[in-house]
Amino acid sequence: MTDFVQLVIAGLATGAIYALAAVGFTLLWQTSQTINFAQGEFVMLPAFFALAGMKFLGLPFPVAALAAILLSMLTLGVLFKTVIVDPLHKQGTLPLVISTIGLAILLREGVKEFYSAEAQRFPSFFPDINLGTAANRGGSGFNVSADQIGVLIVATATILLLAWFLSSTKTGRQMQATAQNPTVARILGVNVERMVMYTFLINGALAAMASLLISPIYLAKFSSGETLGLVAFVAAIVGGFNQVRGAIAGGFLIGIADNLVAAYVSSTYRQAVPLAFLVLIILVRPQGLLGRAEERAV
Amino acid sequence: MANPDTILSLDNVVSGYGKMTILNGTSAHIRRGKITTVIGPNGAGKSTLFKTVFGLLAVRTGKIEFGGRDTTNWSPRQMLDAGMCYVPQGRNIFPELSVRHNLELGGVALADPSGLPARIESMMQRFPMLSEKANAQASTLSGGQQKLLEVARGLLLEPRLMLIDEPSIGLSPLMVQEVFGILKGLRDNGVTILLIEQNAKMALQMSDYGLVLEQGQTRIEDTAPNILADPRIAELFLGGGLKPAITA
Ligand SMILES: Nc1ncnc2c1ncn2[C@@H]1O[C@H](COP(=O)(O)OP(=O)(O)OP(=O)(O)O)[C@@H](O)[C@H]1O
Ligand SMILES: [Mg+2]
Repeated sequence: MTDFVQLVIAGLATGAIYALAAVGFTLLWQTSQTINFAQGEFVMLPAFFALAGMKFLGLPFPVAALAAILLSMLTLGVLFKTVIVDPLHKQGTLPLVISTIGLAILLREGVKEFYSAEAQRFPSFFPDINLGTAANRGGSGFNVSADQIGVLIVATATILLLAWFLSSTKTGRQMQATAQNPTVARILGVNVERMVMYTFLINGALAAMASLLISPIYLAKFSSGETLGLVAFVAAIVGGFNQVRGAIAGGFLIGIADNLVAAYVSSTYRQAVPLAFLVLIILVRPQGLLGRAEERAV
Repeated sequence: MANPDTILSLDNVVSGYGKMTILNGTSAHIRRGKITTVIGPNGAGKSTLFKTVFGLLAVRTGKIEFGGRDTTNWSPRQMLDAGMCYVPQGRNIFPELSVRHNLELGGVALADPSGLPARIESMMQRFPMLSEKANAQASTLSGGQQKLLEVARGLLLEPRLMLIDEPSIGLSPLMVQEVFGILKGLRDNGVTILLIEQNAKMALQMSDYGLVLEQGQTRIEDTAPNILADPRIAELFLGGGLKPAITA
């Protein structure tokens, strides 16, 4: 039982990180119909921004982390939108999808070429202590690290902050309006272009947060985006694709499931978890957990 | 042109989608403080007319004047600021936002946002249903309630002219009467209404003027009673076009 609880807590921690990536993915889809197949690489890259900042500029970790977030907002947000998405959007969905796949390869190979092909240890914000209760419980032991709890708290707080922003500020609601019906938003005078830009900035920041939180756990590696991207994509689909709440639920679900599978079945199957979810959801509930059939009027 | 009774005029307006031309030299004069109903067969370009006037579609050639100003190719935001609002065809609420927040979005273009809460409150008093459902997700409203919400949202900026495209579609007869009643009330308070309706007869009966559009051109522009009595449009009421022999 304690095993199980431990695994669920670990799962919640990774799930919260997945949720960050999935929420960003969903937001981009909602406000700009961008299916970002480079989302996994977007989560891989910021850790290398931070590592490069420490290695080449000698920045202390907290400063490097902050710089990585800002640089991500600039590159994965503003540059991604203006250089790739905007020009290609006019050509239709397919060219953009192909370009994001190309971008993923470019980012992966770029990191491998210019930084390293080896997995890099990455510092954690949280002390490496075990909050376990083995001593007082005597025996079986209950291992939960401060790291896991810290990750869970920070990732959840980030999501709550975003949810608060989207639902409780006028700008956030204008972003939601843009996501739910851009034409009507425009008719009411919403600056739709600006709202879309905000979404890209937020996605850059979410990807950076996810990167800084996950890299201490799974190391920073050029290829780690492959799994992360798949997880973000599947979490978004599991949640209903057009629902931020759904993406959050999907992220947590996959996080918990992949920790349980790794422990009780085999860690080699871990990677299959998102795919299994994908198949299951397509068979059982194609509109996603919280999704509805889409309805959109002009 | 400079007729002070005219609030909105179109002069030989050409517009369309991509290479397709829909408005094909459309001219019209809309009277201030009146209800004008635009009728015409499916695909005549009625909705396109609204999108063009409101700045969602580019005017290729021709001129649009609103309130004495040349508003040709102004953006929707500029049209809002000039005192026009647009309630499109179909469902136009934000389904996952609350009724209150939907209403609030009608005030995005407000020059002084500090006046927004008071406007929302007064709109809720005017439409008590919105007040009862203020915190409900807008998708839970009935079709008619959603239309009322859209109208109220459009009115938040206190526009001088409302473009409203087929508001009666999918509504119960009772609800249609309610919406039409609201439009008449607005007219009586000086708001100009430009309405598109499939249900031409019913709409013309409560209108002051009518505009018959066919193939992107104005065929008839007259008072509503005259249009109702016009034998040429009998065919139109039955869903056909104008009788070509007489149109020519
Ligand atoms: N977004 C669009 N892209 C391309 N063509 C369009 C678009 N919207 C409308 N059309 C075409 O333009 C023509 C006029 O359409 P419009 O919607 O203005 O007609 P309407 O008079 O409002 O008809 P209805 O009574 O069916 O609403 C139609 O042939 C239609 O197919
Ligand atoms: Mg129409």
